[in-house]
Amino acid sequence: MSTFVVAPILTALFTAVTALLLHRRTRLQTAASLAGTVAYAAAVGVLAWRVALAPDPVGATTYQVGGWPAPFGITLVADALAAFMLVMVATVGVASLVFSTRYVEAPEEKRFYHPLFHFLLVGVSGAFLTGDVFNLFVWFEVMLMASYVFVVFYGGPQHTRAALRYVALNLVGSALMLLAVGGLYATTGTLNMADMSRRLAEPAAYGISVEPVVGLSALLLSVFALKAGLVPFQFWVPSAYRAAPLPVTAMLAGATKKVGIYALVRLYFTVFAAAELPVSLPLPGVDGGSPLAFFAPALFLMAVASVVVGGFGAVDADSFEGVLAYSSIGQIGFIAIPVAIGAAASSPALRRLGVLAGLVYALNHALAKGTLFLTAAATRSAVGTSRLEDLGGLASRSPLLGSVFLVGALALVGIPPLSGFFGKFLAFDVAVRAEAAVAVAVLLLGTGLTIAYTTRAWNRAFWGQQSAAVGAADVDPVQAAVLVGLALTIVAVGVGFDPVYEFAEAAARAATDRGAYVDAVDPADVETGGESA
Amino acid sequence: MSLTSGAIPVLVAVALPFLAAALVPLLWRVLGERTGYAGAGVALVSFSLLAGELGREGTVAVPWIPSLDVALRFHVDGWGLLFALLASGIGVLVFLYSATYMHGERGLRRYYGSLLAFMGAILGVALAADLVALFLFWELTSVASFLLIGHHDGDAESRYAARMAMVVTVVGGLFLLVGFLLLVVASGRAFGTETFDLTAMLANADAMRAALRETGLFLPALAFVAVGAASKSAQVPLHFWLPNAMAAPTPVSAFLHSATMVKVGVYLLGRLRPLFLGVEWTLLLVTLGLATMVVGAVLAVASTDIKELLAYSTASHLGLMVAGFGFASAAGAETGAFHLFNHALFKAALFLVAGIVAHEAGTRRLDELGGLRRDLPFTAVVAGVAALSMAGVPPFNGFYSKEYLFKAAYEAASAAGGLWWLYPTAAVVASIFTVLYSARFLALFFGDRPEALGEVHRPPATMLAPPALLAAVAFVVGLAPGLAVDVAVGAAIDATAVGAPEFDPHLPTELSPPVAMSVVSLGVGASTYPVYGRVHRAIRRARASAPALRPNWWYDRTLGGIDRVGAELLPRIQTGLLRTYAAWALGAAAALVVAGYVAAGVALPTEVGVDAPPATLVVLAVALVGAVAMTRAPSHVVGVLALSLLGFMVAVFYTLASAPDLALTQLVVETLSLLVFLLVLEKLPEYYGELDRRLALRDAVLSLGVGAAVFLTVLVSTRGPDGETALARYFVEKAVPEGGGTNVVNVILVDFRAFDTLGEVAVIVMAALSVLTLLTMRRRGESP
Repeated sequence: MSTFVVAPILTALFTAVTALLLHRRTRLQTAASLAGTVAYAAAVGVLAWRVALAPDPVGATTYQVGGWPAPFGITLVADALAAFMLVMVATVGVASLVFSTRYVEAPEEKRFYHPLFHFLLVGVSGAFLTGDVFNLFVWFEVMLMASYVFVVFYGGPQHTRAALRYVALNLVGSALMLLAVGGLYATTGTLNMADMSRRLAEPAAYGISVEPVVGLSALLLSVFALKAGLVPFQFWVPSAYRAAPLPVTAMLAGATKKVGIYALVRLYFTVFAAAELPVSLPLPGVDGGSPLAFFAPALFLMAVASVVVGGFGAVDADSFEGVLAYSSIGQIGFIAIPVAIGAAASSPALRRLGVLAGLVYALNHALAKGTLFLTAAATRSAVGTSRLEDLGGLASRSPLLGSVFLVGALALVGIPPLSGFFGKFLAFDVAVRAEAAVAVAVLLLGTGLTIAYTTRAWNRAFWGQQSAAVGAADVDPVQAAVLVGLALTIVAVGVGFDPVYEFAEAAARAATDRGAYVDAVDPADVETGGESA
Repeated sequence: MSLTSGAIPVLVAVALPFLAAALVPLLWRVLGERTGYAGAGVALVSFSLLAGELGREGTVAVPWIPSLDVALRFHVDGWGLLFALLASGIGVLVFLYSATYMHGERGLRRYYGSLLAFMGAILGVALAADLVALFLFWELTSVASFLLIGHHDGDAESRYAARMAMVVTVVGGLFLLVGFLLLVVASGRAFGTETFDLTAMLANADAMRAALRETGLFLPALAFVAVGAASKSAQVPLHFWLPNAMAAPTPVSAFLHSATMVKVGVYLLGRLRPLFLGVEWTLLLVTLGLATMVVGAVLAVASTDIKELLAYSTASHLGLMVAGFGFASAAGAETGAFHLFNHALFKAALFLVAGIVAHEAGTRRLDELGGLRRDLPFTAVVAGVAALSMAGVPPFNGFYSKEYLFKAAYEAASAAGGLWWLYPTAAVVASIFTVLYSARFLALFFGDRPEALGEVHRPPATMLAPPALLAAVAFVVGLAPGLAVDVAVGAAIDATAVGAPEFDPHLPTELSPPVAMSVVSLGVGASTYPVYGRVHRAIRRARASAPALRPNWWYDRTLGGIDRVGAELLPRIQTGLLRTYAAWALGAAAALVVAGYVAAGVALPTEVGVDAPPATLVVLAVALVGAVAMTRAPSHVVGVLALSLLGFMVAVFYTLASAPDLALTQLVVETLSLLVFLLVLEKLPEYYGELDRRLALRDAVLSLGVGAAVFLTVLVSTRGPDGETALARYFVEKAVPEGGGTNVVNVILVDFRAFDTLGEVAVIVMAALSVLTLLTMRRRGESP
């Protein structure tokens, strides 16, 4: 009945194993990998349709792995939030993989590229779908392990160095996450998110104390901020993004970073928000005593610092990927700002709007940054370099690359009617409604920096005299087709924003409506002796 | 919302240029350079459709985002039509002119595409009646102008100017967006439900104004909107992008800087005037406008290049319009609306004349040109009409609207007195400089011809006709201003003014104060002209001596500063040292966790009882010794051995705590990692380098902090539910009957939570793949 919930994970896993088995027959492997990606997209499409997009959606749907009831076994939950994230990943994933077939071509590179790519999808999908805190840790590890290999993929000194930093920092993150999950289990007596949410809402009934949850959730905040690349956990981003094969970087920036954002939203808004402390936290700008009151200012500070560091870093970067990598740090800050404001809000409508704005911004960032990293990849394929000083006049050599870059860059800036406009628009809207003057100022500054670095990259790479390398460049037609497809998607999301808005709104509702989430999972209530269906 | 008969023509008029822009690549294949004529045709169709709407008023809406109640809503009224007709009408001429002027240039497909999209965006701004739709078109004008200004992208100057225009106008646009959002919030107060519908806001301007005041949003909204408008309409101190934008091809300058791009700010101020009218509005806009008018006129006199002169002059005239709209009186609205119309006519003509001069004489430098009336007699007549109009000489059209500014300024000053007299004074001073630079422009044709100037050809008719037509219209308007009022300008004034003023511009018959102001301006201007060279040099000297007075200098310093901050900041943050990264990550995490416990007021256990058996205590003590020994180890090998001592003690601890499975695992892991360590260490130097004491101290503090955070976490979280949890009970009960295994841990791993194990298996597979990848890639060599 609800098998569609687990379908994305299984499809990707099956493809990963098949691709691994076919590693000596590269053409067959590529074909299987492509077919698997399409199947993955289809599985995600069915899931999204059933839970959110259909005229009469079924809403949050669960799948109990192994038939063990919640909270004893592992529960997978497909709701609008998970569906929104999955659709985002599937879009970037398909583009990135098709592009890869013309980018990663040497047999020894292809061999493990495809299995790893699908393992990455397994990890990401698992993280979005799981309703169990420890299981989330497992999918994080799957995702990370795949990305470790990708960072070190080319095996050169700079790749090894980048991988060392990436692995070391993420191992710190994993250790912290394990500590947090253990602490949460010890405190609440459960790992199931819905069960945890319910227990935190009525601590007395379950004989648990909620005070430690603020600190424990802060531990998770650090871990998820590390995954998302928020300052001061951003250190791994620039070198890892430059080291990995660029189509994978499109995936890392577009999709895996968003897992961090997703996890923050899911755990804080759906789970931790349930805990009400008897005292109001002694923090500025918030009232109330839920972990959200602690989360909001902490996340806001990180977001502001990210916007600043990312913006200034991107203005100073000397290669295409460098600009984009630093830009990713700043853009994650833009995503986090409305989420933080939403967390601080006392009105449910504003809280939902904050999450909604973050999600729309995240979608735009996935599309725009995916497009731009693939543009950098296509530039490297065609020209042989992506250092800004070796480029110039690219727009006259290839109007297509120029147009695609322009669309991606303008989406990043937030020019209407592209997808990025609505992210910016909603972020400003949230800040104005919350009367958060600092947030408005930071958004303005950050956008100013975005314009500064995108126009700088454009002026250096796309305008000016054609450099010798650019003069002989030709763009691969398959790569070009992928780029055009993504650029059109950016335009389409903006022009036809209404359904996207509805989807994001349903996702934000799913994230903030704890009651519905708990009811959907309906964990057996053993301790208070309540009935369960 | 009424859907008038004019709905379809309006939609077509706005959509057609965009459609044509999208089709330019196809058109180019068929028509080649004649695409310029196609562009003129498109502009003509839009112009005709809009001209058919004259005298009508109505709204048409196409739903865009129903969930947010955002629609592509267009409203036709006098003010929108005036602006749209100017843009499309001058658009026709600019396309015609381009077809000749741009002959043989590279990148014409991009040029015509951008120009068409630009024109569509301007028509959109003029007619949009939804704040989101208005903002959409507003931003599109910025993007299109970026591409147009940077058309000669091989020149560093063009790239610099294009980026500058983009930075200034798009950031300004964001201020406007914030201003709009504030208006929307206020509309919620005024109407009960929030709306993006500008027509509704304007129809209830009083309610909106009251709501803005009540919510305290009046000043913020006004300030944000003003910054947005000022950035586009080149008001001081954001005027500096305009002269730089002269790097654009001349037809683009004529289009952007006469009738379109720079006018959208003025247009918007006229549009929103009924919402904000009040003393704050007047003080802000009149000051801003008159300051721009003076600064622009003074700098125009300092110019050395024809286009530079015209650009500063444009800024100055935009200041005139902004100041006009700033005055609350009817004369204020009359100034703004009528001058928008007059200026578009004479300034477009002057830019096109400048293009002819540059094209035919091969230079744009003022000191290399002069006495061209013999070479270009017809052009000289056109330039004469347009320049006299610019100077505000009666009976040319520019005179009337400037006269209304004098009137508005004089009336306001005589009503309020005191410092308000600065306003008419500034207007007169600016007008004196206007007369000066207009005369300088005329000197191109009527002065002495420099000997160095080579042969100058007559322009082709296709280049001469557009400015001639504009000058002719300007001339007619000058002779019969009532005609323009009846056709378009009167309705525009009605839309921007409060109430229905009687507007009847005519030549003065008696010496009123405004007339006296005109006389002074013209008289002083004409009598100062003989010393033009000295004035010109004096301004240039003053400007050079105080670079900090030039906003352009600030722009360069800001962008340069951003670069420098990036270059300074980044190496300090992204040091490339894992030590720094780990310190920040661990330190921040520990700080957050401890802050979380403190904020929530977690109670620590009060009794510290040591009820562990002695054996456990001994084991833990040995583990502690191992940990301390590791920090003091003199070499890698000793350090690793000390670390594994710690690990083995943990294994023993597990055994004592009745967890043999865990102990076994721990032993295997410890043994293996010790072996791996020893194998790797063989490749490393044997001894550590010198230890920096400060770093060691920092690391010690950090590790104590992290240790404290972890310790606290364990301490506060292991006081959870007493006894065994429901989960544990369930697993024990079901392990045998339903899981089929007697070892509960195993059943959990392979059955209850087998999904976790599946994930971990995948991790192990990938770990193996990573080893293989590393080996393969290392052997095969380089990345692509």
